[in-house]
Amino acid sequence: MKVVFDAFESFVGVNVWTMLFAWCNLLIIYLFLKKILFVPVKNMIDSRQKEVDDMYSSAESAEADAKAMKAEYEEKLSKANEESEEILRTAQRRALLKEEEILKEASQEAQRIRDRADEEIVLEKQRMLGEIKDEVSGMAIDIASAVIGREVKPSEHEKLIDDMIDELGGK
Amino acid sequence: MDISVTGPKVYVRIEWLYQKFAGTMVDMFGNLGNLVTQTTVSIFLVTIMLMILGWVASRNLTKRPGRLQVITEKLITMLYGLVEGTMGKHNSHFTPYIGTLFLTSIFGSLIGTTAIFRSTTADLSVTLAWALVTSGMVWYNNIKNFGFVAWLKGFTEPVVVMTPMNIVGEIAQPLSMAFRHFGNVAGGSVLTTLIYAALAVASKALFSWLPAMVLELFPPLLQAGIPAFLSLYFDFFSAFVQAFVFCLLTMVYVAGACPSPEELAEAKSEE
Repeated sequence: MKVVFDAFESFVGVNVWTMLFAWCNLLIIYLFLKKILFVPVKNMIDSRQKEVDDMYSSAESAEADAKAMKAEYEEKLSKANEESEEILRTAQRRALLKEEEILKEASQEAQRIRDRADEEIVLEKQRMLGEIKDEVSGMAIDIASAVIGREVKPSEHEKLIDDMIDELGGK
Repeated sequence: MDISVTGPKVYVRIEWLYQKFAGTMVDMFGNLGNLVTQTTVSIFLVTIMLMILGWVASRNLTKRPGRLQVITEKLITMLYGLVEGTMGKHNSHFTPYIGTLFLTSIFGSLIGTTAIFRSTTADLSVTLAWALVTSGMVWYNNIKNFGFVAWLKGFTEPVVVMTPMNIVGEIAQPLSMAFRHFGNVAGGSVLTTLIYAALAVASKALFSWLPAMVLELFPPLLQAGIPAFLSLYFDFFSAFVQAFVFCLLTMVYVAGACPSPEELAEAKSEE
């Protein structure tokens, strides 16, 4: 082997040694760049892409969840509104019924009281009439006794007296 | 003034091999004794540069990227998009090789702009080596996917008479790829050299009214500036385009040998 200074290869020529070096170095560069540059960078890009995709899909699913939840809440809310209205309506109806019942009871009670009062009045009237009749008959007996001059026995003349009074009362 | 267009300089030579082949047919293409040349040095430099670049670009990869990582990711995403767009999604695993080829090619071409080192791609050995890798990949994948017999049978299609043509075409494929890349870069550098020399002559003519003694020391002023614009095309643009074309051809050829599973099933059912 010798180091030379003034020799040149032909301009268009193929040197097998140079080809060998070219192959070796191409292989070395290929393996090196593949290992250190292309594959790691590609993996990085892909993994980031995947992450972004995951993020988007999870955000979408979260949004869908939120929407579903919102719909659910709205439904619940409207149901609650309906329920409260129903309760209110029922309460109103019940109150109305109660009111009517109370009023009816009250009027019945009043009617009863009035009826009893009427009865009592009638009874009292009859009693009073009886008393008056007795009084009047007594007085009539007394008067008659005085007029006739002898004793009138109520037991004997009672029938007569009563008829008379009735006749008087009827006029 | 003499301009010489030469191949890469030879640095280390295996003397007995050189002596053995000197003057024979082999010597016409490149003597086996020439072990280390200018190209070899450039290849090693490119390797080291790409390793450093790859290491720097992929340092501290995080989920929340910094500025450098954003650029790296953007470029690599573009590369994957290009490969998947050209070769199909099922051939995505070729991306690291295509990326390596592209970077190696473009760095190999641009290292020539330093004027200290020679472009690796201005040496036919390098581009031929790469083109043979492409052909190897095509052959390997053809045999793997379609079977050895089907691959051989492919040469007799559409008619048996075409067989020699097909074989020539198969050989021409790597050769044309290699010569295209080599020719563009080497031709560019030759043109730049020629124009550079022409500008020196023109410069001398333009200032010929100066006394001879001054003219000897006077710099060729026209050489400043004008070659820079040519360099933009012949070095930078051409380097990019040739790297791209080489990768594109590799992708297309390899994709032809690597059909998607559906296409493969279809091709198998046709037999």
